[in-house]
Amino acid sequence: MNLERVIFGFFVILALTLNVIFVMGDIDNIDHHNVWILTLAILVSLCTTGLKLGDRSQIGALLLAASLVADLLLIAARIVWVVAENESAAGPAPETIAMIVSIAAGAVIANIISCIIVIGDTLMSRR
Amino acid sequence: MATTSELDRVAMVVLRFMRRPFFAIVGVYAVGIVGMALIPGIDEYGNTRHMSLFHAFYFFTYTATTTGFGEIPSAFTDEQRLWAIVCLYMGVIAWLYAVGSIIRLLQNPHFILALNEHRFARIVKRISDPFVILCGFGDTGSLLARGLSDQGTRAVIIDGDPERIKALALRDYSMRMPGLCADASVPKHLLDAGIKSPHCKSLVILFKDEDINFKIAIIAKFFNPSIQIICRSTSKRHQSHLNALDNVTVINPFEIFAQLLNMSITAPKLHNLNSWLVHAPDVRLGRPLEVPEGHWILCGYGRMGKWLNKYFAEQGISATIVDPHIKDPPQHSQIIKEHADHQTLKQAGIETAAGVLAGTNHDADNLGILMCVNALNPSAFTIVRQNDHENQLAFDAAHADLTLQSSLTTARRILKFLISPMVQPLIEKLQKGDPKQTDELVERLQNAVGDHIPQLWRVNLCPQETTAAAEFLAKQQSLTLGDIIRDPHNLSGSISCVPLIVNRNEDPSILPRDDESLRLGDEILFCGTAQAKRMLSASLNNTYTLDYLMSGTDPPRGYFFRWLATRTEPFSTP
Repeated sequence: MNLERVIFGFFVILALTLNVIFVMGDIDNIDHHNVWILTLAILVSLCTTGLKLGDRSQIGALLLAASLVADLLLIAARIVWVVAENESAAGPAPETIAMIVSIAAGAVIANIISCIIVIGDTLMSRR
Repeated sequence: MATTSELDRVAMVVLRFMRRPFFAIVGVYAVGIVGMALIPGIDEYGNTRHMSLFHAFYFFTYTATTTGFGEIPSAFTDEQRLWAIVCLYMGVIAWLYAVGSIIRLLQNPHFILALNEHRFARIVKRISDPFVILCGFGDTGSLLARGLSDQGTRAVIIDGDPERIKALALRDYSMRMPGLCADASVPKHLLDAGIKSPHCKSLVILFKDEDINFKIAIIAKFFNPSIQIICRSTSKRHQSHLNALDNVTVINPFEIFAQLLNMSITAPKLHNLNSWLVHAPDVRLGRPLEVPEGHWILCGYGRMGKWLNKYFAEQGISATIVDPHIKDPPQHSQIIKEHADHQTLKQAGIETAAGVLAGTNHDADNLGILMCVNALNPSAFTIVRQNDHENQLAFDAAHADLTLQSSLTTARRILKFLISPMVQPLIEKLQKGDPKQTDELVERLQNAVGDHIPQLWRVNLCPQETTAAAEFLAKQQSLTLGDIIRDPHNLSGSISCVPLIVNRNEDPSILPRDDESLRLGDEILFCGTAQAKRMLSASLNNTYTLDYLMSGTDPPRGYFFRWLATRTEPFSTP
């Protein structure tokens, strides 16, 4: 067992799971989506990106790219949320929520790709 | 420019052929249309009306092409009908003449040739991967093309025999091999075949005619001085000429054949290894032919027999030669100047002979000799020469201990030269050296490759091919051969391959040891399984895998973990 692999795998999988937790539920129902979870997902995703920096292998490059995509999409979703919150007192409208959630769903795909690569890489080096 | 001149030629032939039919049609149309327009007609109200020129053209077009829409726009007068009859016959005849000319043109051999050449040059121009030009598509040529196809290398083929080029179209090669039926010694055809193309790796010349081969080699050298040429030649005069040229390899089928024959008799283990490396069928590594020692009978003493007798004399093997046409008999050999048959074989001592070589240049004679040997001394070792590739099945049925086919051995040698040029020096060095070296190598290969199909491949330690290893070496860190072939799944073992040669500054070292340290720019020849090839390439291109192979521990990846590693290191080391 390798401590590095444990930490790395923990963050990659946590990023995916938090992202899925945020996305689950009706797409346009604000009660099903928690802004705190979204914020936490962004933080974990950024940490994951940090861990991926500096890996010089081909797989490392692909992982970093996937992670950057997830960051970008989650941050975009958070910005949309902030803008929508300021517009009305009752919180974001159902259309806006639908948009935020679908952007976050895109980030889920990026995170799934990350996970698959990590699992594949581990299985390939059967040591 | 070669290709445009080809196109010009096609255009010129078309124009020349179509000039008269074209004028005939224009003339007939002009007469018909003018006549139709001048003859007065009557419209549906009974007024006199002339057909307009456009209408006349319309009428003539559908009449001359026998479409016949009828009398448009209104019913014709008798005068008009009379002229319409004239128009019809005139037009149809003119068209038939024109169509006949086109068909004649399509059948014109010059036109077909020009068109084929143009098409061939266009296909060759579009090739974007490395290819080999093959001049001569006989037995050797087609075997070579098959071998190249199996290796995934494209060949461009030129042969003067239209039947062989037609046969080429029916082969199921793994890739398209363009073929041209033309005289390869005409410089234009060599240009069409892409001799100047940057993708053209080498030129193989296999014609029977020595002068033509020589001419092609010289022309090719002028067009592309850096090209590698492999040229068939059996005459001394041409060989010395060709050897003087840079990057030209002379292939003498008789010499190769005799070398191989000699190897099979004097060094059966090496012969077994060599056959295994070239993927000869029914050959298993470590199961060499058991060639008995003793007296040999050589039936046939041509160019090949001469070479073989020379090798035999060097090895101290006694031989009786049976040949009716022997011209300059060698000394110290028993010679029977007769056809090899029941009587003469007995005279040559077949009952006690260790082996018989049926090596005449007639397949029927060779098969006959085999039959006699089977009757007189079934335990004798038999080697038979197969001349014609088509007789394969007959030779299979004859069950000789070894069947050697000149075209096949030549093709294999050329293929070996094209794909892994370092192998032949290795075989030759092993032949000269200690037989124990061969035994060791065979044992290592058996352990590494086993029953898998052996692959030969070359690794060049340069930044383009092996990023990680080149980076490693550039940092002046030491890297040994044993390090790179270590198995990443099991650090105490190695992947299924054996390094055969390390080539450094054109100075090849044969069978390097595992502790041989590598340098940037080294070329290494490996033999192993296809999986080992992939794994080696992965190790040499991934810094982390290479680090792991060297140190046995996974290096930390990423800035954070590396920082963490420097922080924790003082605590972890006792």
